[in-house]
Amino acid sequence: MFDFLGNVLKNVVSKPATRMYPAEKRQPMKNTRGALGEIDINTCIFCGLCARRCPSNAISVSKTDRSWELNRLKCVICNVCVEVCPVKCLHMDEAHLAGLFTREKVRRIGPAKPAPAKKAE
Amino acid sequence: MISNVTEISKDQLLSEAQKMSGQGYRFVTASCVDLGEDKLNVIYHFDKNTELTNFRIAVKRGEEVPSISATYLCAVLVENEMKELFGLNVTNIAIDYGGHFLLTPEALKNPQSKITIVQKGDN
Amino acid sequence: MNNKTTIPFGPQHPVLPEPLHLKLVMEDEKVVEATPAIGYVHRGLEKLAEVKDFNQNVFLVERICGICSVMHAQCYVQGIEAMMNIEIPERAKYLRVIWAELHRIHSHMLWLGLLADAFGFESLFMQCWRDREKIMDIMEETAGARVVISINAVGGTRRDLTSEQMAKIVRVVDEIAADMKVLEGALLNDYTVKHRLVGIGTLTKEEAYALGAVGPMARASGVAQDLRTMGYAAYKDLDFQMVVEKDGDSWARTAVRFKEVLECIRLIKAAISKIPAGAEYCVPVKGNPTGEVISRVEQPRGEVLYYIKGNGTKNLDRLRVRTPTFANIPTLLKMIPGSHLADVPVLLLTIDPCISCTER
Repeated sequence: MFDFLGNVLKNVVSKPATRMYPAEKRQPMKNTRGALGEIDINTCIFCGLCARRCPSNAISVSKTDRSWELNRLKCVICNVCVEVCPVKCLHMDEAHLAGLFTREKVRRIGPAKPAPAKKAE
Repeated sequence: MISNVTEISKDQLLSEAQKMSGQGYRFVTASCVDLGEDKLNVIYHFDKNTELTNFRIAVKRGEEVPSISATYLCAVLVENEMKELFGLNVTNIAIDYGGHFLLTPEALKNPQSKITIVQKGDN
Repeated sequence: MNNKTTIPFGPQHPVLPEPLHLKLVMEDEKVVEATPAIGYVHRGLEKLAEVKDFNQNVFLVERICGICSVMHAQCYVQGIEAMMNIEIPERAKYLRVIWAELHRIHSHMLWLGLLADAFGFESLFMQCWRDREKIMDIMEETAGARVVISINAVGGTRRDLTSEQMAKIVRVVDEIAADMKVLEGALLNDYTVKHRLVGIGTLTKEEAYALGAVGPMARASGVAQDLRTMGYAAYKDLDFQMVVEKDGDSWARTAVRFKEVLECIRLIKAAISKIPAGAEYCVPVKGNPTGEVISRVEQPRGEVLYYIKGNGTKNLDRLRVRTPTFANIPTLLKMIPGSHLADVPVLLLTIDPCISCTER
């Protein structure tokens, strides 16, 4: 009858099996797909490859307006846009988003296209 | 490239199902493809020892197709689904849900058929 | 005098992971008739697959179900590769096997925990899921996400495994094998658990075959069919052994899934030791799929069949998915009539219902 006492004493003195959240937060692992990070808009050439390959149509790119827009609520964090970008201006953050409070899309406008240099006659 | 597809007519369907059951084949499923212009192809898949045998029938939407649920009771679910989603007219299903298997009453009829969207004129 | 009452079971019920409705006609405590009704999570994914192009469909298809997600993607890309005559590198085949078997372990441990919860043994449920957490952590470290890991692509896999990661996988699955030995006492040999499982919901071998049961449901009744013997991906080199039981009751189904976890651990270790060295794990894909193909894979719940029809453009003509729970639901029509009401939740759980797979 008393063989559960060993178990009880073990449970009393050992540390808890769960993490003491929110005092101790879980560190994300390397190369985790957490959330799409900030785009480097000055490098972006607005080719639209990321928008075409996105499986959930979360990105829209306009070459004429020099704009890149991301709908975070549609993004499934698949990493395809990061892999196909020809100039590598997108990167994936390891930490997941804490929570979104508005339905606002992330919109970034790039610098105006520099005029093509005229060949010297 | 599916191997092993035999084209049969829908009148031969029940006798083929009986033959398959007699030879010890297991009914896997049936797939319905909408080819456009109200033409439907239904492929019945049978399996024995991981070897598949398939039968294809070509029907028009509205034509009556006999149900094989008398031989294979497990066909009731997939025949009800094809009836609701494609409008394939399957008769004598052992348990007939009468169009309420998957869709709610307010849903679009035959949602998986080829749907064309026609623009309304301006005037 | 017969008192027949009709009781609605579900769609919301604490034992069900997904909504399923059963109309039970009862005579006092015994069930006389049972009619299943589904349709609560129908998303129309087969229709959506015709609108997206065939590369984006990989992400769509793995979200049909969260528990068997890697194997849905594997079946789809195997079908597309057969249609387009793409030969993937050997290393990619072994990598797919490793991730698929890890996924199978996580699915079976989830089920073992849910079964324990179904008859009220909540601490055993927590113990099974604690072991499952180790697998989820490995998936996050190697593939980037915990549940829907997006690791399959047309042409191979999207990531590779380094030798440190493979050594860690071997260490973790050995820990899980040791923990399973401890759990065996509680899950398979305990006196009270056996009372809830032995002799309940018996399906004979002929009934299971005639009703079209697949996966552990069929193997627990003695029907020896498992698609991994077909030898797709790297299974032909790994000497795979099927797990079959004879009795056909709920205890046999629990035993089959329990022993399959141990078989998966052996397969993972064999794949890691035999994986060919090399840097290539994905080949580039050109062109569009044409023609039709049938692709089948063994998921944790049974055999899944994909019928894919392409017409030469980027979009597919038809994607038809037949998931294993769809094939296992007719067995309910045979098992539930004749049982007591208190046994219905456990019986329903032994088919391993994945209703979001069934209804797509």
